[in-house]
Amino acid sequence: MNGSSFMRPAVILLFVAALAAAPFAVNQGLLFLIGIAMLQAMFALSWNLMFRYAGLASFGHAMFYGIGGYAVAAIIFHGFPLPFLLAILLSTAIGAVVAFVVALIVLQRAAGIQLAVLTLALSQLVLLFVSYTDFLGRDDGLSGLARPVLDFGFFTLDLRSPTAFYYFIMVAFALVTAGLLWFVSGRFGRVLLAVRIDSERAAFLGVDVRRKRIFVFTLAGAIASFAGALAAPWAQIISTDSMSWFNSAQPMLATLLGGAGSYWGPVIGAFGLILVNYFTRTFVGLSEFMVGGILLFVVLLAPSGIAGFFEMLRRMRNRTRTASAREHNQ
Amino acid sequence: MSVLVAKGIRKTYGSLEVLKGVDLSVGAGETFAIIGPNGAGKTTLFKVLTGEVSAQGGSVSFDGKDVTRLPAFVRARMGFGRTFQVARVFGELSIFTNVVLAIEARKVNGGESCGRWWDWRPSADTSDEARSLLESVGLGRQGDEEAGLLSHGDKKRLEFAVTLAGKPRILMLDEPTAGMSAADRKSTTNLLRDLKAKGITIIMTEHDMDVIFDLADRLMVLNYGAVVSQGDPVTVREDEMVKQVYLGKGVGHA
Repeated sequence: MNGSSFMRPAVILLFVAALAAAPFAVNQGLLFLIGIAMLQAMFALSWNLMFRYAGLASFGHAMFYGIGGYAVAAIIFHGFPLPFLLAILLSTAIGAVVAFVVALIVLQRAAGIQLAVLTLALSQLVLLFVSYTDFLGRDDGLSGLARPVLDFGFFTLDLRSPTAFYYFIMVAFALVTAGLLWFVSGRFGRVLLAVRIDSERAAFLGVDVRRKRIFVFTLAGAIASFAGALAAPWAQIISTDSMSWFNSAQPMLATLLGGAGSYWGPVIGAFGLILVNYFTRTFVGLSEFMVGGILLFVVLLAPSGIAGFFEMLRRMRNRTRTASAREHNQ
Repeated sequence: MSVLVAKGIRKTYGSLEVLKGVDLSVGAGETFAIIGPNGAGKTTLFKVLTGEVSAQGGSVSFDGKDVTRLPAFVRARMGFGRTFQVARVFGELSIFTNVVLAIEARKVNGGESCGRWWDWRPSADTSDEARSLLESVGLGRQGDEEAGLLSHGDKKRLEFAVTLAGKPRILMLDEPTAGMSAADRKSTTNLLRDLKAKGITIIMTEHDMDVIFDLADRLMVLNYGAVVSQGDPVTVREDEMVKQVYLGKGVGHA
């Protein structure tokens, strides 16, 4: 067993500890951004689930993020008497159903660039529909969303407190991240990788490729909707920006930055992007410039992203170690 | 009894007629070879039989059931195993995972359990089976290596292991020894002979005449999408027409 088998759990533990300590260490503004980073990380993970494990590049993934957000926002804004947790579940389910229908239609034939363009077009269509719907606040969206109080009978969780809501998001983030990691590490993840690498070969193992792709697309849509459904009450506002092509690009940028070849890449990338935005917030336009520059740097020098860069370092170190061990033995 | 029967297979790509009504019938346990010059339609016929492409005319039946309209993955579940002209393995995955995948797919399709649902690792039986399959094709020691880094011959071996993991009833081999060294060719021929002895039906295309005369029970010669000759290898070799279009003047190599 080499040193890096202990490294990864240690880094993850440190990351969790830092997230847990954040409410005591940083100001409200930064706490809000870290919350957003966790939601964006979930969003990016769901995008990479499709990309890495089914070979599907969607350019309209924000459609689902927006659908989840709008569903929860409408329930809160119009005062539907639905417990918050059920509202979240319902929004996730709506996202899943829409994703399933889209997958049924789009994955009939399209893959590659056609899929990218089709999903982008569909997301713009949904955005247009929302911007003309009074019920959803037209172009302005729904704002002033009240944060809920969760009543479990024997105790209540007051999400009006930013710290409480922050921990709520953190638990959701941990559950989704761990659940997905379990999912892709298992039998299903192996089959999906095979589908992405060579779908025709996978078919000759008796794998129903289309069905697997539809399933992954649906699951990714559901997770994106879940993230969106948490983002709306966290930000207390939802607008058509949430389903814009710019937001669709976020999980792609995060994945590119963090590394598509690694499970943790999108998480690293999402936090990286938020950090860049935070540290450049006082200079108008600098954030775009920085993000562009960093991406250029990553694509040219570390094409497999930050996670891939560390993986490369690890391999190099192991190689020198085995080489020196070999010399030692001689 | 015939396992695989194809009748009147016609296939055109645009205005080009690649297959002009091909009939074939392969018996259980038989090794059937399809030969012919490049562009004769061998691979297309192969793809029609496996379900990768659909033909414009004709029918294919497997075990008496009409499979003409069934996609490749359904045929694979029915017992079709296939290897490709240039071996196709899941390059980014380890050699071991390649085989595990195939075993798990077979188990799921057969309604068997793959171990505890929450356990992300392959079950003990699956791992054991994968190891013994890799052993049987001579890749036993290299399980952890990335499949994409294997040599051409080793990829072919791995593809065999992956295909056999599906416990196929009929093996469809598209040039199983193409591009192999003489030693690899020998070991592949031996492997195929073992499979044949186990009663697996084999359909293959092949350029190497030694391999064909060594293994095939029956031979079909295809030229310009039509069957030129069919029969046992010795008879076919003596066929004047075949000598002309394919074998050349009395030479045993194509």
